[in-house]
Amino acid sequence: MLYFAGIDIGSLCTKSLILNEDDAIIGTSIKRSGAAYRGAGEDALNAALKDANLKSEDLNYIISTGYGRSRIPIADEQITEITCHARGSSFIFPEARAVIDIGGQDSKVIEINSKGRVLKFVMNDKCAAGTGRFLEVMAGSLDIDLEQMSELAKQSKKEVQISSMCTVFAESEVISLFAGGTEKAEIASGIYRAIARRVTGLASHIVSGKKVTMTGGVAKSKGMVWALSKKLKTELLVADDPQIIGALGAALIAKTKFNNL
Amino acid sequence: MSEYKLNRLETTKLIGNIVDKHWASLRHAKENGEKVAWCSGPVFAFPYAMDMKCHFMAGYSAYAGGRGAAQQLLEIAEEDGELIDACSYHKLHMGMAAAMRKNIPVRKDVILPLPDLLISGRLCPEMSHYAEGLYRKMGVRVTGVDVPPPHQKSEIKYFEKYVERQIRESLIPALEEVCGKPFNYDRLTEILIVLKETAMLRNECWEYLKLKPSPWTLWDYGVSIAPVFYLMGSPEAVPYYKKLKAELADRAAKKIAALEPEKSRVYWDGWLPWAFLGKFSRIMCKLGMVPLVGRYPWEFFPHPETIDTEGDPVASFVKQVYSNGGQAKDNMPSLNLPVIQNWVEDYKIDGLIMFSSKSCRMWNLGHNDFIAAIERQNGIPGVVIEGDMVDTRMNSFAQIETRLEALAEMIEARKE
Repeated sequence: MLYFAGIDIGSLCTKSLILNEDDAIIGTSIKRSGAAYRGAGEDALNAALKDANLKSEDLNYIISTGYGRSRIPIADEQITEITCHARGSSFIFPEARAVIDIGGQDSKVIEINSKGRVLKFVMNDKCAAGTGRFLEVMAGSLDIDLEQMSELAKQSKKEVQISSMCTVFAESEVISLFAGGTEKAEIASGIYRAIARRVTGLASHIVSGKKVTMTGGVAKSKGMVWALSKKLKTELLVADDPQIIGALGAALIAKTKFNNL
Repeated sequence: MSEYKLNRLETTKLIGNIVDKHWASLRHAKENGEKVAWCSGPVFAFPYAMDMKCHFMAGYSAYAGGRGAAQQLLEIAEEDGELIDACSYHKLHMGMAAAMRKNIPVRKDVILPLPDLLISGRLCPEMSHYAEGLYRKMGVRVTGVDVPPPHQKSEIKYFEKYVERQIRESLIPALEEVCGKPFNYDRLTEILIVLKETAMLRNECWEYLKLKPSPWTLWDYGVSIAPVFYLMGSPEAVPYYKKLKAELADRAAKKIAALEPEKSRVYWDGWLPWAFLGKFSRIMCKLGMVPLVGRYPWEFFPHPETIDTEGDPVASFVKQVYSNGGQAKDNMPSLNLPVIQNWVEDYKIDGLIMFSSKSCRMWNLGHNDFIAAIERQNGIPGVVIEGDMVDTRMNSFAQIETRLEALAEMIEARKE
């Protein structure tokens, strides 16, 4: 049996996935990236190998992706997360023609064809608004975790606006609202809608009329998926674990590359 | 180790000394009893004709950026009250003015002398504020030449008259008053004669960019712009381009590519990232990606064959800015998109890079629209990358690298 690995080293989390030659996912792992990408990549790969009951020498080809992709000497090749998310998304949802990937430090909207090839993409600018980091900071300012924030947002009865596009200023806005007596639930809902507005501005010309899948760690947040679906007026396709789609795409590309050797 | 090999041109290694000499002559002008002008926009030929030493706003910014001296000046400007996201070219000059006023030591090779005249050639609204800001800091005389962008061909003749009249009735009298002598029309003609010869040689060099693989790149041309612009009329201009043309002809004959192997050919829109050309070059080399053509670097006298060196030099100069120049090409809705689409064919372009400057909105409007329109007609992908011409803080190279790599992957996927 042949085995292929994808390692996706993101700014917040490192994900690894092992695929066999029949395209079955046989091992996965998600670790915090921390400051040492190389160590995080190796840790994540070892954990995925353990999950798959394999050793590193069993692997036939490894592709690394994500912002730390060039830090993994064990990888045979590096591919951007844009191409990897496209490929992984198409594998899970063949009908998808657009991908919204909200990761730790950026958000991307990718138009794909039926083979999972990238036709075009747009990314947010060098600003944390509309990213996983933004959500983490906002949850921190409400003194809750991301899961609690998602649950709270559902209970919101009123719409409050978080208007700043800057994470630091948005945090001050949240603190002011909180100090002014606004309920946490309303603020949580306002935070999701703020990100949804930002991502919609980036996404609408690409996703219009298409089946859209959402990937990346932020897609685990039900509150975010709800707010974005509402704003885009479309149901988003979300995989069981949207955070590993980049690593899945990398492993699928690893298989193709190996077969073309 | 990269699988690609960059073959640097010998000729472009000469440009550093040529531009250093220009800026040194400006620094020492006052000691030599010469008059000095600072100028934005394309009208520095007029102070040159009066034997003034003249600075050019974007050229100086590129020079300071290329020498790694921009950041200090930007920070001095901010300490003096400028906003972080104001035009970095404007701010760089405000930093220089503040350094002069407050005696803040800055690198000797980028010091500018206090001008006798500020010429505000207004290509964008920010340039009038630039002159106004400098006037407040330095208190020297300011004269403006408004160079509005045309939107249709029928407007061009009015705009030409408008600009010509400002030059004759405002700029030339100001120069005569500052210099205490009549305007030297013959010298302006001489400058145009040299410019014509230089730019015609440059156009022959442009033809080599159409070869596949190309013997030189847009970056090579970028560092060679000064002789066809702010070094116009200088004795080094024609020899530089003659040497460059000969080197390119030699490379073409021997089939030597600028980058070996040349994997993809790209169009570059917007300002050149002067302070980061080396960084961009390294990233793009690693991807086998060669930049070849762009709207901004093609602004500088693209039709020199039409320069009239027999008639009125003022009218001839203005015609080069409008009828035969970049102003119309870059700004007319009916022209700019077809120009890029034709370039995509002529230069065999595989992908588009739209450089969106964080501090200059003039060059980054409609980038995604352009990509979509060109993709529809020419079937090639494009990306927008964000950064700045000279401000380090506005460039995130991890983001830039990812976008450029993704462009390379898209180009590759379309070829399969």
